[in-house]
Amino acid sequence: MKLKTTLLGHTYEFKSLREVMAKANEEKSGDKLAQIAAENAEERVAAKAVLAEVTLEELRNHPAVPYEEDEVTRIIQDDLNETIYKEHKNMTVGEFREWILDEKTTGDRISRASRGLTSEMVAAVCKLMGNLDLIYGAKKICVTARCNTTIGLPGTFSARLQPNHTTDDPKGIMASVMEGFSLGCGDAVLGLNPVDDTAESVARILKSFDEFKRKWEIPTQTCVLAHVLTQMEAIQKYQAPADLMFQSIAGSQKGNEAFGITGAMLEEGRDLMRKEGTASGPNVMYFETGQGSELSSDAHNGWDQLTMEARCYGFARHYQPFLVNTVVGFIGPEYLYDSRQVIRAGLEDHFMGKLSGVSMGCDACYTNHMKADQNDIENLASLLVAAGCNYIMGVPQADDCMLMYQSTGYHEAAALREIFGLRPIPEFDQWLEKMGFSRDGKLTPLAGDASVFLDEQMRRQEDGR
Amino acid sequence: MRETIISVGIDIGTSTTQLIFSRLTMENRAGSHMVPRIVITDKEIIYRSSIYTTPLLSREKIDVGKVQKIIEGEYEAAGIDPGQVQTGAVIITGETARKENAGEVLKALSKMAGDFVVAAAGPALESVLAGKGAGTDRISKENRAAVVNVDIGGGTSNMALFDCGKLTGTSCIDVGGRLIRVEKGKVTYVYPRLQKMAAAHGLAIEEGESVQKDKLWSICRWMADQLAMALHLKPEEKEHEGFYTNGGKPLPNQPVIEGITLSGGVAGCMKEEPEDPFCYDDIGVLLGRAVRENKELSGLKQFAAAETIRATVVGAGNHTTQVSGSTISCESKLLPLKNLPVLRIEEEDTGSAESLQKSLETQLELFCPNGEQETTAVSLKGDGFGSFQKIQELADVLAQSSEEKLARDHPLVVVVERDIAKALGQALKVRLGQKRDIICLDGIAAGSGDYLDIGKPLAMGRVVPVVIKTLIFNT
Amino acid sequence: MVDEKQLRSIIEQVLGEMELPDINREERHEIHAAAADTAVSYKEEGAEEGVLPDISQVNVRTQYLVENPRNKEAFYEMKQYSPARLGIGKAGARYKTLPYLQFRAAHSAAQDSVFSDVDPEWIKKMDLFCVQTRCENKDMYLTRPDLGRRLNEQGVLAVKEKCRKNPQVQIYISDGLSSAAVMANAADVLLSIQQGLKSFNIETGTPFFVKYGRVGVMDEITQLTEALVTCVLIGERPGLLTAESMSAYITYKGTIGMPEAHRTVVSNIHRFGTIPAEAGAHIAEIIKIMLEKKASGTQLKM
Repeated sequence: MKLKTTLLGHTYEFKSLREVMAKANEEKSGDKLAQIAAENAEERVAAKAVLAEVTLEELRNHPAVPYEEDEVTRIIQDDLNETIYKEHKNMTVGEFREWILDEKTTGDRISRASRGLTSEMVAAVCKLMGNLDLIYGAKKICVTARCNTTIGLPGTFSARLQPNHTTDDPKGIMASVMEGFSLGCGDAVLGLNPVDDTAESVARILKSFDEFKRKWEIPTQTCVLAHVLTQMEAIQKYQAPADLMFQSIAGSQKGNEAFGITGAMLEEGRDLMRKEGTASGPNVMYFETGQGSELSSDAHNGWDQLTMEARCYGFARHYQPFLVNTVVGFIGPEYLYDSRQVIRAGLEDHFMGKLSGVSMGCDACYTNHMKADQNDIENLASLLVAAGCNYIMGVPQADDCMLMYQSTGYHEAAALREIFGLRPIPEFDQWLEKMGFSRDGKLTPLAGDASVFLDEQMRRQEDGR
Repeated sequence: MRETIISVGIDIGTSTTQLIFSRLTMENRAGSHMVPRIVITDKEIIYRSSIYTTPLLSREKIDVGKVQKIIEGEYEAAGIDPGQVQTGAVIITGETARKENAGEVLKALSKMAGDFVVAAAGPALESVLAGKGAGTDRISKENRAAVVNVDIGGGTSNMALFDCGKLTGTSCIDVGGRLIRVEKGKVTYVYPRLQKMAAAHGLAIEEGESVQKDKLWSICRWMADQLAMALHLKPEEKEHEGFYTNGGKPLPNQPVIEGITLSGGVAGCMKEEPEDPFCYDDIGVLLGRAVRENKELSGLKQFAAAETIRATVVGAGNHTTQVSGSTISCESKLLPLKNLPVLRIEEEDTGSAESLQKSLETQLELFCPNGEQETTAVSLKGDGFGSFQKIQELADVLAQSSEEKLARDHPLVVVVERDIAKALGQALKVRLGQKRDIICLDGIAAGSGDYLDIGKPLAMGRVVPVVIKTLIFNT
Repeated sequence: MVDEKQLRSIIEQVLGEMELPDINREERHEIHAAAADTAVSYKEEGAEEGVLPDISQVNVRTQYLVENPRNKEAFYEMKQYSPARLGIGKAGARYKTLPYLQFRAAHSAAQDSVFSDVDPEWIKKMDLFCVQTRCENKDMYLTRPDLGRRLNEQGVLAVKEKCRKNPQVQIYISDGLSSAAVMANAADVLLSIQQGLKSFNIETGTPFFVKYGRVGVMDEITQLTEALVTCVLIGERPGLLTAESMSAYITYKGTIGMPEAHRTVVSNIHRFGTIPAEAGAHIAEIIKIMLEKKASGTQLKM
């Protein structure tokens, strides 16, 4: 492994693969905060040049956290298909990049290769990709997953309906749910981030979601995004009907400990979902990630945030999730400084997720102390659809009143579908047509009228009398 | 934070005596890290007593001993000790409220029922409780309509009108199933006022005469007509005015009533009419039929009441208690305080310190009926008193006026609607120091003429239960 | 003809002389905007007199823009239970113009509250002295949280020199992520805490202002002043519902490097949340309990 190069007349010598990986990253404020970023633009390119010559085998042999010390590393390494790994292990990262982009390399071949890739390889090739490369490469790969419906089918594009509320008020939440469905959101999942994350409260919300879903016969899945143990308690103790089990995950054991989870705990959660969950499956897990979370809990082991993020996907795929998404701009400017860094990170995460073989979505978002605005996030969302992203978020006019950040609005998924000629998940698409909210993949004038759900409610009540 | 308390409702009615226990759940609905906001989130009835015939010693006297025995027996059957009961109400309703020892019964029962079980009576309150127990407020809100509940009991029919969930009027008329009683083919009792009015209407009836079903049917249909008149569905005839209980007022003309719920004992036997109309030894079954067949009443949209015969007792157990705001100042050693008359400072008097002081001091003088001061609750809305500066101004007036006009040994009790009670309480404490005890609550809207009961703090001292007893409903 | 700049300065002068203590920031903005509009109307042909209504003042809860809804009242009523931007209708699969502009207005207020500084005049009026963390500018503040958790050298000296030592309670104010929040709420909260503590006979130290402050700098301040309880009033990261939300973080015997869970937080202080005066009274009581129980954060059972 050569760690030395000359570039533009300067010699650069890196001490370790870890340093090469960190410095080969596109600029991120989080890597600077960790004091591992390239000193300047030239050093960044020098590191990329060195990385291009590193083989996939060398990357496998240098995981970000040693196998013995870290459960995430063990899960990633033990999950590999050794036969497939051997087919690619002698490629350099530069060659691997070209192989992915090559016209002869189909999406299916990439998906097969994916089974022999560790997260460090995924991160490394990502660092050598331009933004359009990330879109071009990711677009080839098709990852589908099935819970009650199947997400990721070619020609489809989905949205999570995120009806968060400042106090979990049941009526307030349902008002958001109704408006979201009326605008065609929610085919990926109806999923709420609760304020009150007690099992009882989680159960209450899950029950109200399930009731609504059944009453209106909506072909989708439901979830309340509490800690895995809380959701398990909600299911076991309060008979909560849950289609998906959620958890935030990190790219190292220490990072997961900061979230209060272990691999075994997720396994247990998935087992419970198989036995007592309400979904047909087989994919019953939902994970969220985001660059920088390991650094914020001092669990990055000196590695860059991109590599740690790739390891989230390597860890996630072990549990065959239905959904994984990066909450890309939530963490703040100390990790992703501005719109340029957020857009880059969103494309990176999406590419890496797909290359790892998980059903990938993105919460394209920003906080108000970041130098970004809604235009930037709409740009990112459009680029993600071009890259074949499975889903984005849907929040009332993009403003999440509970998490106090801005994401993509209920209207965005619908607009992007129309622009790119995509449709929601087929069963959901048919449901929208049945309800009169869409026709031939376009919103009708009725779309956005949440009171449709209340009108009917009245009528049925009176019929029953 | 989740806390449950047990509430009792006891209804001593004209014909029946009942009791329920319910569990009220309180939760902090503010997010973590926020100033708490504790609200009652659930009301679950955990025990319903049998329905007893109200024991009487004579026509004019309730048998206190027997009533007490019934209640004691039901506490035992439910496995609930009066010490566990944190709130609730005993209400004496209908004709029973007119018995000569009604007050004595109420007092005795509220004492034995639990520490903070309030005694309540009066047709307006009874109407409100029955309406809430029947779920009419909710039905009206959900359907965004003006819906009236008519609780037809043994002695009276109590009406409460809700418009989009908001109470807009109450009324009570002497129409009930036990105003005429029959036994073994003979009329054994006729409520004297009814007898007089019926005679004037050409329906003379005497105690001791044989039962003439046709005549009783005519009287019941005529009584159902009175209900339709009381709801402004039918032009009033001249006798109608005489039906209002204790000379009370009719319902307001507006809003126009769109829907109706029926509760009370008579409504209870409307669903399944017994074969023998006189099986209860009264005209309840016939009256129910007459109400059902009344053209005007059946022209309204019919909604099913959540409770029929138990509406009032459920109302008493579930709907009398509210909780104060969650940032209050109070000396808990003073609590509970019961039957505090409300001194209301109206909005128009809060414009300046002078007008505020004038209103407060003139009214404080009125609350000394026999030259001796009653502990009163000063009530105001609090709009416009949100800033620190305005709270100081309000505290100045309250402190000064209470020093001048409030007897030394009385606590200063202030209730406001806006969320300023803790700041106001501290401002008062700085001014009055050890000189006077202060109770300052928010989230409470109490008007002139109301009485307040304030219980011991709940939810780790953050809130107190409050019962507002509206004796007169001002439309 | 008077030009715009002249006119503006005349109006500002008049406003300054008028001394409008109760006028809030928005109203001032409105007056300024009105002034600007008037000025423009002197210049541009075809411009008419008058001021357009302030779209940022529209209550999102009562706004309902869906065209021909099936059951308007029913959804309108449900919408009252949510602060979310609901019932906003659509233009094709995009937003209507009014909600689009309202969103932009809310975001502009949020960004301005982060990227602007607390007015030095306000600090002076509050009779506070000002110290700074190791951050040299806003950008550094946003990207280096570690530096925002420590005072610079002059700051350390000033606190040592000017603050009363060993108070029972040390209160100070810091910009945090919203200068607007501090200017809108801190005065009432501070006065109300001080009054509440006085009613409990609790002594407070010398208040001051910290520029570019992260919450964590309170631990250094605790160590410098040797206060038992330290309370910082600090601007929250703004959302679009309000850019003026402030929090109080309170510790009992805080130390540098202690777990975050040992802080007690009271958030959502603003005129549409918990009003500042009432929040201050609540905080005073929390401080009283902390002093009695000698604990804060998750260790404090309340």
